[in-house]
Amino acid sequence: MATTDQVSRRDVLRWVGAGVAGLATGTYLLTPGTERRRMRGRKTVRYWHMWSGEWGEVVQTIIDEFNESQSRYEVVPLIIPGSVGESKFLMGTVGGDPPDVMTHWAQVIPTWGSQGLLLPLETLMSRMEWEDFKATSYPVSLTTGMLGESLYGMTIGLNAFGLYYIPQHFIEAGLDPENFPKSLEELCTISELLHRKDRSNNYTRIGYVPSNFLNLSQVFGGGLYDFEKSELTLNSEENVRAMDFIVEERKKVGFDAVNRFFSGLDSASFTGGWPFIGGALSCTFDGQWRVEQIRKFAPDLEYKTIPLPPPQGGRPLAGVTNGNFMIIPKTAKEVEGAWEFVRFWSGLAGSEQAASLYTRGGWLPLNNRIAEAPDYQKYLRENPEFGTFVKVLASQDLVGNPPVPTQTFIMDRANRSEDFAIRGTWSPRQAVEELEKAVVEEQERRRRLGYAV
Amino acid sequence: MQSDSRWLAPQKWHKILVHFCLIALSLPAVLPLLWMVSTSLKPDREIYATGGGGSAPTLASLLPQAIKWSNYAEALATVPLGDYLRNTIFLCIVSIIGAISSSSLVAYGFSKLTFWGRDVLFVVMLGTMALPGQVTMIPVFTLFKNLGWYGTYLPLIVPAFFASPFLVFLLTQFFRTLPTEMLEAGRVDGATEWRIFIQLVIPLSKPALATCTLFVFLGTWNEFFGPLLYINDPTKYTLAYGLQQFLSNYGGAWSYLMAAATLFTLPILVLFFFAQKTFIQGISTTGGK
Amino acid sequence: MSRQKRQQNLIGYLFISPWLIGFSVFTAWPFLQSLWLSFTRYDIISEPKWVGFANYHALFTQDPQFWQSLQVTFTYAAVAVPLGILCGFGLALLLNIRIKGQEIYRTLFYIPSIVPAVATSVIFVWIMNPQIGLLNGLLKTVGIIGPNWLNDPTWSLTSLVLISLWGVGGSMVIYLAGLKDVPLSLYEASLVDGASAWHRLKAITWPFMTPVIFFNLIMGVIGSFQYFTNAFIMTNGGPQDSTLFYSLYLFNRAFRYLDMGYASAMAWILFVIVVGATSILFMTQKKWVQYGNN
Repeated sequence: MATTDQVSRRDVLRWVGAGVAGLATGTYLLTPGTERRRMRGRKTVRYWHMWSGEWGEVVQTIIDEFNESQSRYEVVPLIIPGSVGESKFLMGTVGGDPPDVMTHWAQVIPTWGSQGLLLPLETLMSRMEWEDFKATSYPVSLTTGMLGESLYGMTIGLNAFGLYYIPQHFIEAGLDPENFPKSLEELCTISELLHRKDRSNNYTRIGYVPSNFLNLSQVFGGGLYDFEKSELTLNSEENVRAMDFIVEERKKVGFDAVNRFFSGLDSASFTGGWPFIGGALSCTFDGQWRVEQIRKFAPDLEYKTIPLPPPQGGRPLAGVTNGNFMIIPKTAKEVEGAWEFVRFWSGLAGSEQAASLYTRGGWLPLNNRIAEAPDYQKYLRENPEFGTFVKVLASQDLVGNPPVPTQTFIMDRANRSEDFAIRGTWSPRQAVEELEKAVVEEQERRRRLGYAV
Repeated sequence: MQSDSRWLAPQKWHKILVHFCLIALSLPAVLPLLWMVSTSLKPDREIYATGGGGSAPTLASLLPQAIKWSNYAEALATVPLGDYLRNTIFLCIVSIIGAISSSSLVAYGFSKLTFWGRDVLFVVMLGTMALPGQVTMIPVFTLFKNLGWYGTYLPLIVPAFFASPFLVFLLTQFFRTLPTEMLEAGRVDGATEWRIFIQLVIPLSKPALATCTLFVFLGTWNEFFGPLLYINDPTKYTLAYGLQQFLSNYGGAWSYLMAAATLFTLPILVLFFFAQKTFIQGISTTGGK
Repeated sequence: MSRQKRQQNLIGYLFISPWLIGFSVFTAWPFLQSLWLSFTRYDIISEPKWVGFANYHALFTQDPQFWQSLQVTFTYAAVAVPLGILCGFGLALLLNIRIKGQEIYRTLFYIPSIVPAVATSVIFVWIMNPQIGLLNGLLKTVGIIGPNWLNDPTWSLTSLVLISLWGVGGSMVIYLAGLKDVPLSLYEASLVDGASAWHRLKAITWPFMTPVIFFNLIMGVIGSFQYFTNAFIMTNGGPQDSTLFYSLYLFNRAFRYLDMGYASAMAWILFVIVVGATSILFMTQKKWVQYGNN
């Protein structure tokens, strides 16, 4: 060990090295970070959303455009990964520092709305605006955004679902893609001609195989909620029929084989990894955002879209949907700025200008005015397949999920019941009854505790 | 030591066997990492070539056909890396200072001083390690909120200054191995406990403290949920949060995610490779003995 | 009490005061508060309201998912912890042999444990894809049709256990460190006696290592009961609740269904279980853990 009077050169070097490193780190840490606010003299509107990557860039252009369009507010975004968005929002609210405005999935609206966390948006509108809003918006934006008589979420991008299919696959299978099946049953029958297997008996390509009980229950004439009577209808005969249909069709293909096929695919992918682009799906039921995705990642793909044909005795153009909704917390600090931003994006402030924003992410409009604006019409001409979804969207039978405070619980349980059914563990009827039972018990428990149900 | 350890240097055929075993075993350890790195270098088209219900990948698909370094640049361009790195380093440094100084003080108290109720308190401290974080999460959050700390770094930093049970436990194990006679000699000379601690104990504990430093560093580097809950300012987030963004449902491509994950892991990897001797030595004087 | 004793007490408490303060403010107080919350109806937003034992009653009598989550967590702990110890210890024994490239091997085995859990999860979701994953691709080359790993209720938990073994390097370094402390003179003596390698392991290495193994056992059990991230990202509890870990279910109750009282009750039940499990392990340690060998 070196003592003070015989310091080795090595030690000196070591100390000098450490000193330089420390100094460098210190300087680095002390340099100012990116300026959070670039626009002096404006009120900050803090906006939380969940789009990152390429979609985040699209959202950023909208924010920039809003900031340029006026001189009072500056919207400052924060990206919150979707999986933790809910806990972050709740903690922010409890912590007394919520965002001024946030985009989240529709499913949070009834829960948060009933807890008094969200600002009823009609309170920000004049009486006339509110009446006009109710009269012109697509029905589903009301059934999804409202709880009781109040509007808690403003859509900036509803979802609508339809069938995507590849005509070439139909032709190869000896089918006529122009003469698309008129019923769900027929679609399932011809789909058998579209399936392909490899030598180890794994499916490499699949036609249409039904899934999504939430949606099909509505298509079959049932649905989880009766919007007229305002009550849950979980175990209706129509719902049992829908579940039964899903299970029977999947049984034909083979429970395990279907599960393998679909879990083998990154079907949630929002990029070029979507299996439809790769040719693994000949005909699949999916949301309108895929049109924009295909345009971005596989512009040469030849495909068509069409509304899901109804089953015999079912409802055409029916379904359950959701979407991205703007919410303003009750405790938001900059409500006026937030509302300006919501009006700007949603199109309440002007259909023509908002139409261009909607096309940017391939989003469905709030009302027909926006759909008919020049920019939107231009988008539809450039992406003719998108029209299918605008058509579906306007349907009276397209509804939101049950607008009750326990919606999240109900949807989780509905998906769970479907999961048990499509693996053959529960019979279709049992799956639906289990759903009913779990929801009734949970609601009773919550009612006893004094929660809203 | 050297002369004693001859038996650990085995015979030649034996060595080959050990190499063989280790290589075989390291395959499952390394393959996923190679997969991560190779994906990070592939163009999107190649990644999806095996997807879409197509052919199953083989070992050959580990090698990218065309290396695309720009994935890294593009991934980095989507997050404010400079801010995140600065914040992460800042939090790491402050947490290390806080955790090490407070934990070593407490560990010294528990291992080398006698006072009323010491053993009971020690057991209580160990017991808190078994406490699931979810139990206290909400009340702790409310506490920080009431202190007015929400939206600042304080909830992430301040608890570090109040000693971590895990580190205290490791350090007490180490301090117990220090000869009591040496400390007694200091006490006879009239040194205060504080001076003994600072001038005798700390210099002798470098490997143990280095190990603890690495643990704190790892913990802070990977911490994602804390910053997410308490921070609201977009420029105040950390690298772990940046990484999470690539996972977001509306996020970008696999290649970017893998590039980000590789970059995120790399500094820790380099650190471990060079520090492993001190690290393992440090653990050997602390770990659970 | 003598003056000296008082002073000793004072100094002792001064030294441990950082922990004492931190413990009372950041642990003990919130801990008691959560006990109170478990007897309330609390949705985070409005004031908590006393409901007596309602949460506990509902958990024990009408929540099958609660029991399912307990079963999943116990199964995982019972399988993953011993397997982890076995693999970590075995690896450490191999890596303790002095051969070329020891540092590199050690680093290779250690790296997986420091890869962030988020990245690990993503990598494995992909590797374990039944049709396009690397794992089944490799199995296929030797003629085995791999299962539907994470998406098959009979394999999902096994898959998570396998993934946990990937991070075994973290405990491996602790065993390695422990092995350094085994006095070499003992081995030399046994070599002179001509004892077999197995005998050396059983008679010398094992007894010396029991405290380290015990330490890892305790940490492993505590860790399993708090297992969350991987299941949250990879399976989210499914399929068919086969990976519905306790912490995951608790998180859902708290933040998805906004039922903090219910979640607090769950957290307290978990605490009692963890304390119970670790106490039982501590009681067994007299039988097999050997401290202070020489």
